[in-house]
Amino acid sequence: MRLILEVWRQDGPDAEGSFETHEITDATPEMSLLELLDRLNHQLVENDQDPVAFESDCREGICGTCGLDVNGVPHGPEDNVPACGQHVRSFTDGQTVRFTPFRARSFPVVRDLIVDRTGLDRIIQAGGTISVDAGTAPDADTLLVTHDDAERALDFAACIGCGACVSACPNGAAYLYTGAKLAHLALIPHGKEERAKRARSMIAQMQHEFGPCSQIGECALACPAEIPLLAIAAVNRERLRAGFKWRKPN
Amino acid sequence: MSSEIQERSDIDQIPVAARPATTPPPRPQTWVLKLIMAVTGSVFVLFILFHLAGNLKVYLPDDPQGHFNEYAHWLRTLLNPLLPGSTFLWIFRATLVACLCLHVYSGLTLWIRAHRLRGRHARKVHATKHHLTGRTMLWSGLIILSFIVFHLLDLTIGRGVESKDFSTKAVYKLEGGEVVTDAYSNLVHSFQRPEVAIFYVVVMVVIAFHLSHGLWSVINDFGGTAPRTRTVFLFLADLVALIVVIGNASIPLAVLAGGISV
Repeated sequence: MRLILEVWRQDGPDAEGSFETHEITDATPEMSLLELLDRLNHQLVENDQDPVAFESDCREGICGTCGLDVNGVPHGPEDNVPACGQHVRSFTDGQTVRFTPFRARSFPVVRDLIVDRTGLDRIIQAGGTISVDAGTAPDADTLLVTHDDAERALDFAACIGCGACVSACPNGAAYLYTGAKLAHLALIPHGKEERAKRARSMIAQMQHEFGPCSQIGECALACPAEIPLLAIAAVNRERLRAGFKWRKPN
Repeated sequence: MSSEIQERSDIDQIPVAARPATTPPPRPQTWVLKLIMAVTGSVFVLFILFHLAGNLKVYLPDDPQGHFNEYAHWLRTLLNPLLPGSTFLWIFRATLVACLCLHVYSGLTLWIRAHRLRGRHARKVHATKHHLTGRTMLWSGLIILSFIVFHLLDLTIGRGVESKDFSTKAVYKLEGGEVVTDAYSNLVHSFQRPEVAIFYVVVMVVIAFHLSHGLWSVINDFGGTAPRTRTVFLFLADLVALIVVIGNASIPLAVLAGGISV
């Protein structure tokens, strides 16, 4: 298969950046999009050019490291699949495929297709710690969780933190991400003591760097972990609930 | 071994830039603005349905003019023995204006925040209904805002854009003997101008778009996470939008077609 690749090249966070066009003549349909970039890099190195910088780790859809926009869509043309799980067979012979870094003001470009996603980590950090009994192991079944709650909590915990929701959002909002984290922790008894405080600080931190939600639903279509769209409502739900909670005196 | 533990537990190892902000978030907070939009928007939805119920009196088979004018008069003198004259009407209007100011302020602030935070590269979007309605909320909102001004000048105040037969004088005699403003004739005369009638119809479609996404946003902003409630709201949002557009837009069309006349 022959593919024309338009790849965003940017030397550093403050560099101007521009598109570079390359041709791959020996792409195969079963190649993943990351393998396609690997192939491009081999070709670039063979011709004494700088390889394209992009992130990847597990290449099996669980690490959340890969993250780039393909033809203007986070991760690639298929919905709810990470870039490592998307294949060249989505394209036709001779098609132009455009690779750009994740799009969001909150994700500054580090180099080429690598963006700085620590904004998401700061939301997690703002969540802080939870109170747990750090002594000997508790008796079994002292913390009861129903099967349904456990399943739902795990559905939200499936978030791999890749940031595709932010890139997909026309507003650069991190509601799906923050909502998934809040909903996940709100469904289980661990950290119940900090529930209101966690909602206040995580949502406050989110507002520092990310945009407001417009309920368009683009995030849930991009999410490789298939976090349901109702996670965006979990943000306001947790924040409203925290608003009704008595704050402990300082 | 001990140095490894030391390293892991040492919070100073984290670069300063990677730590959460210590300053308060931008005020008013985004979630507060969204909540204001949801509350004031819900007030408008209730108002629009209330307004629609009044409008539909033009379709009453028996003496629509009398019923419509009686309703218009009732609105002006609501709660009358308790509150003198048009006191209630002015409280009603003040509430709506306050809601409008809050709604527009919140909407614009959120729009500016959203615009600042989107990235530079082009985005290909899914062709979903929420894209059509959701991403045009600011524009549909601005159209509705200018429509409100037009509508007030046309049928309430009667200045600038009113029909040549417009009158706020008490000329219509109700069944009870009271003489009131002929709101019904004002409406018919206004809609007998084709360009105005078409403008009203077009704006009703815009309002339907705004409503359908707005009501869907309400359930999200109030934190409704139950799947069934969300499905119901998704349906309700479209249903209310449809009722408003069919109910209201049919009136100018009926006037144009000659079904409603003085």
